[in-house]
Amino acid sequence: MTASRRNFLMGAAALSAAVVTPETVRAMAAMQTATDWGLATADIEADIAPSAMRLIHGRAPSGLEGALYRNGPAKFRRPGGSAGHWFDGDGLVRRFQITGGRAELAARFVDTPKRRQETRLDAMVMPGFGSAGDPRAEIGSNDDANAANTSVLMAGEALWALWEGGSAVAMDSETLQTRGMVTHRADLKGMPFLAHPRREPDGRIWNLGMGRSQAMVWRLSASGALEAATLIELPRASYLHDFTATDRHLVLVLQPWVQTRATMPLSEGFEWRPDEGTQVLVIDKDDLTRRRVFELPAFGFFHLGDAWSDGQDIRFDLCVHRDMDFAARGAGALLNGFPLDGEPARLALASLRADGSGVLEATNQVAEFPRSDPRRAGRPRRFTLHTAGETPGRPFASAIGLTDWQAGRTRVFDFGPDHVMDEMVFVPRPGGTAENDGWLVGPTLNLAARSTELQVLDAARIEDGPVAAWRADTALPVSFHGIWHAG
Amino acid sequence: MAVIREPEAAGPEIGVATAPAVRHGRSIETAHSSGLSNEGPPLMIHLAAALLLAAASAGNQSADSRIVLTFETGARTGSVMVALFDSAAAFDGAAGRPLASTVVSASGPVVAVFENLPAGEYAVKAFHDVNGDGEMNTNPFGMPVEPYAFSNNAVGNMGPARWERARFVVSGDTAQTLTLR
Repeated sequence: MTASRRNFLMGAAALSAAVVTPETVRAMAAMQTATDWGLATADIEADIAPSAMRLIHGRAPSGLEGALYRNGPAKFRRPGGSAGHWFDGDGLVRRFQITGGRAELAARFVDTPKRRQETRLDAMVMPGFGSAGDPRAEIGSNDDANAANTSVLMAGEALWALWEGGSAVAMDSETLQTRGMVTHRADLKGMPFLAHPRREPDGRIWNLGMGRSQAMVWRLSASGALEAATLIELPRASYLHDFTATDRHLVLVLQPWVQTRATMPLSEGFEWRPDEGTQVLVIDKDDLTRRRVFELPAFGFFHLGDAWSDGQDIRFDLCVHRDMDFAARGAGALLNGFPLDGEPARLALASLRADGSGVLEATNQVAEFPRSDPRRAGRPRRFTLHTAGETPGRPFASAIGLTDWQAGRTRVFDFGPDHVMDEMVFVPRPGGTAENDGWLVGPTLNLAARSTELQVLDAARIEDGPVAAWRADTALPVSFHGIWHAG
Repeated sequence: MAVIREPEAAGPEIGVATAPAVRHGRSIETAHSSGLSNEGPPLMIHLAAALLLAAASAGNQSADSRIVLTFETGARTGSVMVALFDSAAAFDGAAGRPLASTVVSASGPVVAVFENLPAGEYAVKAFHDVNGDGEMNTNPFGMPVEPYAFSNNAVGNMGPARWERARFVVSGDTAQTLTLR
């Protein structure tokens, strides 16, 4: 490891340095009065017809043509009852289309059985991750409660809206019209399909479906056709929102937030057991019975970066939370406009060594929603793209960061306190090969202008800020995850 | 006495074939666990009470009410298993026995008729045994993968529909159309 890298990796001590001082309390109070966070978790009442966005800065780079599809909850409250948690709103799929230098925004709710039933009752009644549910709810299967609100996946020409407790929901990628639940085989109807599939550079899709201490391992072709579905046993019933993969391995991080009982809301059935540490299960893609288990210190997480092999070692980046209090309580409080004083996640690098040991190297860099070059998925790489700028008093990111593991530094552009930064994706420049030869594309929510903006940055010159920005005439709430589809 | 008969209108062209339950006396209990038990994965809904095929209970009260159930389903293979209950205890209980049951081929219109019933409250559980293996198949996490329905097209709340949602009053001729989903 280089000296700069050693300096950069501050060690686990930095993670536990969260101290609430009177200053931070005052800062939080000021933030809450100054900023209308409500817009970030506001209700959208109707689909957004395709409409042009107004160019407000720069110009679209030549060669940047395609669509950014994103998903996130956008309906939480109804007169007869409301969702109790940010993760339980109805999925609104957004398409930011960039064509010929112009940008257009369209958005449609995924037309789920949940949304139909709740529209009919004019009440949010479904149980979920953090919502208890209402006795009026009619739930004949897990997909009746499917919010389809977490991410999207392109499967051939179809766009799939993803949740994590049930089926993917197929949509028309042009009109965003919902086609229906995806059943891969009659005997697998309703099996869960996580919102974080891992795509190999050739398009093949790996995913998991979680059921306590079991997981379905899905392998699909690039067009979404089922190649294999294999049930595996896990050493513990951890909450697993995301997994990662090298070109040869699946890597399942089993945090010590463990399901001890089945209840609703789902999150109430989990216990934080830091004494038990974090386990990492590594499975050979070619033979799912070949597995190794590594030990890491206790931490909480939602999101991992793509893994890679470094000699005989496996490495992956991740966004480490102190615990899972945000999942259990924070995201519910957020929905009611009063964020908890949660310590934001920090970027870290995990190494699983050939000798069986595991090492977690934490940095002091605030980071969430890690992404990287899709052409290098599962292969060695240098950069991690992530959001930044969260503080205990500011529940959402305001900045985008690109961490260079080789140089040991993070370059950041901060959009300022008026902006809520969504996850960004890296879009390779057509014909380019370098890992930072391309653009960073993603929306911000401009709280002052009360509108959604689409930002494009040059990945090699992130500090310079956007090379192009467009503004919509509508304000969409914060979304979770998305993909770039070139063309 | 509850009797199940072949409907007179059932010609071969519509393929209706109800039959006395005693001809199909084998149990198809599948022992699903509850969706809230520690066995199943989260949000997994199980039909906690299995659909039972059992001999009709004998009785000797005279009765002249009749239930005609028409089922809508997406597949034409296999058969639809229908069980009729006359009490909350039997309907909601894990081991509750139906008053009567029948098997109807799904190759044509699917109609089940229960007749010579005393007036009163009843409820129905049904599933479509699409692959004809005699069982209500589930996915690896225990979720039903074959279509099912309850009377009133009732849907449960993370479990099978309860008597309170599925019961209906029968007096004379009563008909329902149920969608197997």
